[in-house]
This record gives sequence, C-alpha cells and structure tokens, in this order.
Amino acid sequence: MKKLAVILMVSAVILSLSFANGASETNSKINVISREEGSGTRGAFVELTGVEEKIDGVKVDQTTLDAEIASSTSVVITTVEGDKNAIGYISLGSLSDKVKAIEVDGVYPTTESVKSGEYKISRPFVMAYKTLSETAEDFLKFVMSSNGQDIVAKKGYIRVDDSNKYTYESSKKSGSVTISGSSSVYPVMEVLVEAYMTLNPDVKVTLMQSDSTTGINDAISGKSDIGLSSRDLKASELEKGLEYNVMAMDGIAVIVNNGNAVKSLSSETIRDIYKGLVTTWAGL
Amino acid sequence: MKKEGVFKFLFAAAALFSVLAVVVISLFLFASAFPTIKEIGPINFLFGKIWKPSNDIYGIFPMIVGSVYVTGISILIGVPLGLFTALYMTYFAPKKLYRVMKPAVELLAGIPSIVYGFFGLMVLVPLFRSIFGSGKSILTASVLLSFMILPTIITVSESSLRALDNSLLEGALALGDTKEKAVFRVMVPAASSGILSSVILGVGRSIGETMAVVMVAGNQPRIPGGVLDGVRTMTANIVLEMGYATDLHREALIATGAVLFVFVLILNLSFSLIRRKK
Repeated sequence: MKKLAVILMVSAVILSLSFANGASETNSKINVISREEGSGTRGAFVELTGVEEKIDGVKVDQTTLDAEIASSTSVVITTVEGDKNAIGYISLGSLSDKVKAIEVDGVYPTTESVKSGEYKISRPFVMAYKTLSETAEDFLKFVMSSNGQDIVAKKGYIRVDDSNKYTYESSKKSGSVTISGSSSVYPVMEVLVEAYMTLNPDVKVTLMQSDSTTGINDAISGKSDIGLSSRDLKASELEKGLEYNVMAMDGIAVIVNNGNAVKSLSSETIRDIYKGLVTTWAGL
Repeated sequence: MKKEGVFKFLFAAAALFSVLAVVVISLFLFASAFPTIKEIGPINFLFGKIWKPSNDIYGIFPMIVGSVYVTGISILIGVPLGLFTALYMTYFAPKKLYRVMKPAVELLAGIPSIVYGFFGLMVLVPLFRSIFGSGKSILTASVLLSFMILPTIITVSESSLRALDNSLLEGALALGDTKEKAVFRVMVPAASSGILSSVILGVGRSIGETMAVVMVAGNQPRIPGGVLDGVRTMTANIVLEMGYATDLHREALIATGAVLFVFVLILNLSFSLIRRKK
C-alpha cells in the first residue's frame, strides 16, 4: 500500500513537472520535421538547401538534432496537417491540400516551375548504364516514350519528353534486364516495369531496391544493366564510362500547416531552420 | 501403445521447433552483432551519444536512455491503472459489468499495434500538443504504451488474485476488516508474486513495442532533456533506418537489436527468478 502511494506520488510529480515545462514554451517555436537518415528525399533536400556542409572534406548532414524524425512521407503530412508550428518536406508528387506548400525564393513548386528550373529544390530521376543489351535498350526506349512518360506523369512526377515525343511499339523482345538503385525512383519504376512486361511477355525485368549510390556502382561494375539514381551523377561517376538518361524530374515541396500565415521563405531561411539556427516563426 | 509413441514424438518435435527458433535467432543476432560492436568499439557503441550513420558515427546511448524512459513511465502509469482494474474486476464488479469488462480487456489486447499508433498520432498527439505545447514526446509514447500493456497487467494480476484461497478474504472480513482494507492488506500482498510477474511482462511488451512508438515519439536521436522532449527508442531506431541501411549502418542496426535482446533476456531471467522464489 505504501509502495503504491509512493509510485502514485512520483507519477504525479512527473506530470506536474511536465506541465511547468510545457507552459514555458513559446507558442511560435518552429517544429522541424525531417525524414530519417539515409532517405533519398532527405539526402536530396539537405544537399540542395545547403543543410549538408563539407567539414574537412567530409559531407556532414547538419539537420538539427531537435528535428522530429518521420518514418515516411505520409507521417510527415499527417504531422504537419495537425501542427500549426510544423515545417516539413515531401516529394512534389505527394502534395495534397491537407498541407500548404510554400514558395522558395519566391517560386511556388509546380510541375511547370520545376521543369523550367525556376524552383530550385528539385532532382532528376536518372537511369545510368554502361553498355546496353538490345533488350535493355528497348526498355529504355519504352520509359522515354510517351507511353512511359504518361505513367511518370500519372505518378505525380514531371515528364521529360517535351522535345522528343514518340509512341512505343512493342517488337516482342525476349531476354532479361536487371535494374537496381534508388528507393525514390523505385515506386514509379515498378509500374513502368509492370507495363513493359505486359507488352513484352517474354522479357524478364528484375528490379532491385537499394540506394542511388549502390545503383550507380552496380551499373559501373556490370552487376545491373541499368542503375537508378534520384540525384545527378557525379563527375567521378561519369568518368568511369557511364551514360545516362534523365527519365523524370521530381520537386521537393517545403510544407507548413494550412493555418500558418507564412507563404514564402528564402532558401537561406529554410537552411537555417533545418540547421536549428532559426527556431521561431515570429518575424518570418 | 504405439499410437502413444507417435504422439510423444510429435509433441517433442513441436517443442524442439520453438527451442530451435530461439537458438537460431540468438545465433544470428550475436554472430552478426559481435564483430560490428568490436569494429565500432563497445564503449563508442553503447555509450556514444551521437548517431550519425552518414558519417559512420554509431552511438546508441540516446536510444538506450529513450527505451528506459518510455518503458519506465509507461509502467508508472499502466501498473496502478491495471492493478486497480484487476482488483475491481475480481472483488467489486457486479456480474453484469464484469461480463462486459472481461471481453473489453481481451479486445484491447487484440488491437494491432499499428492501430494504436494511428490512434496516438490522430488523437493523443494533437491533445498533448494543445495541453503541453509539444505533441510527440516521451509522455505521449508512454501514455500510449500504458494503454497497450493494460491487458497484460489486468489479465495476469486478475488470474493470480483469483488463484488465491477465498478463505483468506473471508478470514480478514470475519476479523472485522472492511472489504477495501482486506483486499489491499491481505489479498494484494498474497498475490504479490503474480502481480510482479504481470509488471515484468508489461515491461517486456513496452520495451519491445515498435510501430506505435515510432509514430508518436518524435524519434530524435539525442538524449532527451525532459518528458516533453521527443525521443527515439532502440526499436524505433531499427525500424526507421533498416529500409535504407547498407554495410556497417545495417550491421549497427542489427547490433542495436542484440542490445535490445539482452535487455529482454535480463527481464525474462528476473521473471523466472521471481517465479522460483514463489
């Protein structure tokens, strides 16, 4: 009985302490939402906004340790939807009216502004390869055709076939193609592969999910016919004899709560928010 | 006689299978964890305060602290609540109410943890945000977990109370105790080992819970400053990053699992020690 009373007292003290703690917090403190370390979206975001810094030649992701880590795009959206003070980032393809995308350096993220290059936080989806087999070349032809690009657009990404439109016609190829790489490209590639295999029942396309760097290395070593990357290829990678096609573009939208008055932020401010240097909405 | 032999073999095989599963899992965990921990350095791994896989820094101390905090507070909330419920159900509840309560508690145990997680994210997080100013925190995760361990605590405590000889209660009542007093002074101490078992089982459930915690804890990999700060538990660390992790990062996550396994092992050992004492 006494023990029980002690336990109850302790929990009461803890609860009251937390009340005091909560009261001292200001209401406009920015609640930073980030993705987990290793996520392709996070990688592209920190690189493009400058949250990632080179220290002694090593790239260090400087995202503030106070940032809440959401395990998926949908958790980012749900959190921002319910929190007036939250800021987050998601793939443009996942943007809906549950949350508000803000202008970055005065440009609102749309498929058009990403395509024209005005909206800066965007990344290409790249297919990299060294030498293509006849079958692999046919698959590439399918992805870049308007049939393939329709799928890209339907999944919410930006099509890249404006200057070179053609319709894919199946020549009933047979053989096998191995594709590996970025988990960000994976969802759209999965649909593309399925559509291609319906048109070419004798072709076996194997799709493996890892990350951009692994995918590119697989293409260099010949482990895969095609490597998928959700970032530009580095000069060192191109030197190893890689060629590539940009198969789609993806913008990264910076999102806030619908009730947040902020409409536009500079990329410097976004960087400083994610580095933990700017911590309050007041004055933004 | 022959038939009996066949079934004996069948039962033995089934029993062997579960033992084999434990052995295989332990082997896998420790065989992959030991070289990793050696490579990172046991001190750096267990007591390192920085977790930055992209720069090959793997310190899981914040996650160990996180798991201990979240589990501890969920027990502080869940145990009194569960024990009182068990006492009420055993000694005070009218039969009609009991017939509703018992299945309700059992149903609580059957709800998948991802559903608890969604409930936490949609209901508890906004609620706590409006009261305390921070939604995803140790407190939110602990409260959610205390719901989740309630069925364990209630069921095990209740069955240990029911296992007691009724003459104990009758004797106390005959000596002039009120029913409340008799229950607390006589029955609870008599069932203490069973109640303690329920607490340890609750701790085990709490420390191993993953999906629900990931959704409401905030998952910041740093040592929390208070119960309103977000926190990352060991389980959350594994499930958050496993999908992307490669090489040493992946190995470090498996090693995190091994550390968690050691925690659960210690819990189960203390559980069987208590049982033996009885």
